[in-house]
Amino acid sequence: MGNFLVWVVWFLAAGGCLATGVAVVNVTNPFFAALALIGNLASLAVLYLLLAAEFLAAAQVLVYAGAVMVMFLFVVAYLGGRADAPWAGGPPLLRTAAVVAAAALLVEVVVVLGLAWGDNLQDPAQVSDSFGSPAEIGELFLTDHLLAFEITSIALLVAAVGGVVLGTTPEKEDE
Amino acid sequence: MVVGAWICLLAPLAGALGITLAGQRISRRTAGWISTLSTLVAFGGALVALFGLWAADPSDREQVSTAYTWLAAGDFEVEVQILLDTLSSTMMLVVSGVGGLIVWYSMGYMAGDDEERRYFAYMSLFVFSMLLLVEAGNFLLLLVGWGLVGLASYLLIGFWHHRPEAVAAAKKAFVMNAIGDATFALACVLLIWETGTLEFSGVFVGVDSLSSTPVNLVALGLLGGAIAKSAQIPLHTWLPDAMEGPTPVSALIHAATMVTAGVYLLVRAHPIFEAAPDIQHLAAILGAATLLVAGAIALVQWDIKRVIAYSTMSQIGYMFLAAGIGAYGYAIFHLMTHAFFKALLFMSAGLVIHHLGGEQDIRRMGGLKDVMPRTHVAFLVGILALVGIPPFAGFWSKDGIIASALATGGALGYTLYVAALVGALFTGAYAFRLYYTVFRGSQSKYAAEHAHEGHGEGPRSMLVPVGILTVLSTIGGLVVIPGVWHPLTEWIGETAEALVDPTVAEDYETSALAVALGLVGLFLARRAFQAGRQLVTSPVIWRVLEHKLYFDELYDALFYRPAVAVSAALRRNVEEPVIERSLDEIGSGTIQVGGEVARVQSGLLRTYAVAIALAVCVLVVVFVAVR
Amino acid sequence: MDGPDIGWYLIVAAMLFGIGALGVMLRRSPLIVLLSLEIMLNASNLTLIAFARQRGDLTGQVFALAVMAVAAAEVAIGLGLIVAMARRRLVLDVDQASALRG
Repeated sequence: MGNFLVWVVWFLAAGGCLATGVAVVNVTNPFFAALALIGNLASLAVLYLLLAAEFLAAAQVLVYAGAVMVMFLFVVAYLGGRADAPWAGGPPLLRTAAVVAAAALLVEVVVVLGLAWGDNLQDPAQVSDSFGSPAEIGELFLTDHLLAFEITSIALLVAAVGGVVLGTTPEKEDE
Repeated sequence: MVVGAWICLLAPLAGALGITLAGQRISRRTAGWISTLSTLVAFGGALVALFGLWAADPSDREQVSTAYTWLAAGDFEVEVQILLDTLSSTMMLVVSGVGGLIVWYSMGYMAGDDEERRYFAYMSLFVFSMLLLVEAGNFLLLLVGWGLVGLASYLLIGFWHHRPEAVAAAKKAFVMNAIGDATFALACVLLIWETGTLEFSGVFVGVDSLSSTPVNLVALGLLGGAIAKSAQIPLHTWLPDAMEGPTPVSALIHAATMVTAGVYLLVRAHPIFEAAPDIQHLAAILGAATLLVAGAIALVQWDIKRVIAYSTMSQIGYMFLAAGIGAYGYAIFHLMTHAFFKALLFMSAGLVIHHLGGEQDIRRMGGLKDVMPRTHVAFLVGILALVGIPPFAGFWSKDGIIASALATGGALGYTLYVAALVGALFTGAYAFRLYYTVFRGSQSKYAAEHAHEGHGEGPRSMLVPVGILTVLSTIGGLVVIPGVWHPLTEWIGETAEALVDPTVAEDYETSALAVALGLVGLFLARRAFQAGRQLVTSPVIWRVLEHKLYFDELYDALFYRPAVAVSAALRRNVEEPVIERSLDEIGSGTIQVGGEVARVQSGLLRTYAVAIALAVCVLVVVFVAVR
Repeated sequence: MDGPDIGWYLIVAAMLFGIGALGVMLRRSPLIVLLSLEIMLNASNLTLIAFARQRGDLTGQVFALAVMAVAAAEVAIGLGLIVAMARRRLVLDVDQASALRG
């Protein structure tokens, strides 16, 4: 029974991911695209929960969906009607190549997975209940992966500075 | 005694280095003294070496002293080594002795010149180089000395470098010597190839077992070097031009020592030449040809130094003749006496030139007998020695050579004999023509006007060496008296045994003929002089002789013009279009290719993204496959 | 583990990645391109977390967290760029933004 429930949840979440993904790429209005992405992020959070990554699921919803997407929506609101640009455009060769590339990637990944399914992808490890908990992740961040932690904070600092710089008012000449 | 040889070699080098490093800190006179004294020290060393050798047992008279191994390549080795034997000790004495006298003389001759220090440094360099040449124990070191004397000659001929004629003459001498250097070097290469060594002892032993072609080639290569260095036909055209240098330079380098290096080589390498008799005879024939041609040209020259230069060429022809038929002792004997009287002639001519304020044209001289009595005596002694009038030095040595030609016999021997005798006639003629024109008759107007007043004939530093050489030219030949004693030819014979030995009868018979012919020349010259005309009256012959048998013009047409034309053609057709243009092409081509490649940078985001995606697809396949 | 094997999660992630790639390559509005980029990043996050679960190693989750932080930073800058473009009254079309052409 539990397993069946998991499968149902999985299908719903996976379907939601893919559907919202296609929606982001396909809609014309950027506002709706942003909303679709929020849906995508939420579905992904569900999938993370199924994979015993509770902290990450929470972070996803809080940070990604909560902060980043809100920022997006702010900008979309600011830009208003000017953000519209037609879907189709560019040389046909480019479009064909793009589709081919994406399809090829997908096929390759599936092939590799297929090849490895029998060996590497069997028997997921047994994990304790605290797997994926904030405590464990925090401990890792401060011991084994301290460097990554620090560098990430530097990256964020750089982004903050860059954001400020980009946000400065342009010169009066083209006002 | 080997120590003496080392001192002899290194003293002039120390002198040259000392003068060079001291630079302007020493006075010009001091530079002169350093040079002179270092050469005299060398002479002392040579004496020590000689006496040591003399006192030693005759079987012990070949001493090799090695300083260190210079280069080694597998089995092949070359060491810095000197060879002290009878031949090299004699040469050392001649070079350092006559050299010392000439350097001393230069102190007076070159006094007042701005660049005296450079001159004396070069002179010491030359003395060192020549000593290295004669003391070398292997062919490579000899070649080093060979090249260095060529360098010193170039530097000294072109000493007055603001004179374009001097610079041109220096270049000509160097280039022609370079031809000889090249053949010499090729001969050395062949020797290494065939015998595996360049040491004299090793080569001379090994050369017996070689077949005729390599031996002939080696001998030919050595001969090429010798004829370039000694200014024999066909590589002789540089010597008259070399008179652009200062007179002591002409005396030392182009009379007494450097030009005799070729003779030394022929005697030193005699085993090689004896194994290649055709080449040895070729040397004799070239010598005979040169002595005749040079003697003839000397009859029409107006420059006092050029007459003496052609005389040098002619006398070295005698030495080549001797070495070519195997009369090594007489060749070296004549080398020695020639050094005495030729240096004497040049130095007395230098006194005349100095007295007349630089004039060298004999048409402007005359009647100097009363004005410069001591110089007159010296010059006359030199002329008598040159012509070979007994008892002066040249008589004993030159007649020994001619008698050896007679003793050789056969077609070659008799031809050389006749040529040598005719040469004696020419020698008498041109020598006395010179003497009479310069010293006898009435004083020319020019001489009277331009005479260097109030100094006497010259400073002591110039007169004393001339005096010494006068004495040597008088008695120096008495070391070999046929039928009585031959210490010198025996001494040389220990290293290079003569192939021919004239009998006493042949000696006296030849001497009589030669002296007679010399006196005939004297009378012809005197008669012509008193009649106020030249010896050569036919204008055609005069013109040919004046142009030195058109050798210069021939070489110009054969070598110089084609070389210049080829160079110009190459420059036009290869250098500019191909090389220069290709460099430009590389530059512009790179820019062009860069432009093409830059078109990939379209600036369009989507293109980049597609490109990256495609690349990733390919890479995935690669990574999966490689794993 | 309950539910599908890890492989299915990976397939979902691959499909998401492909969709996001298509969006980046085919849309002309920079905003939509950024959104598609986010989809791609999330797909790789999913892969990381799936493998972390499979191997029982939390390193994958730590990595995913770092990716999230960097993605946030990158979006901030990207949006800043778009706003700057809009302020200068440029057309928001990636095909027209070719000032970096070589």
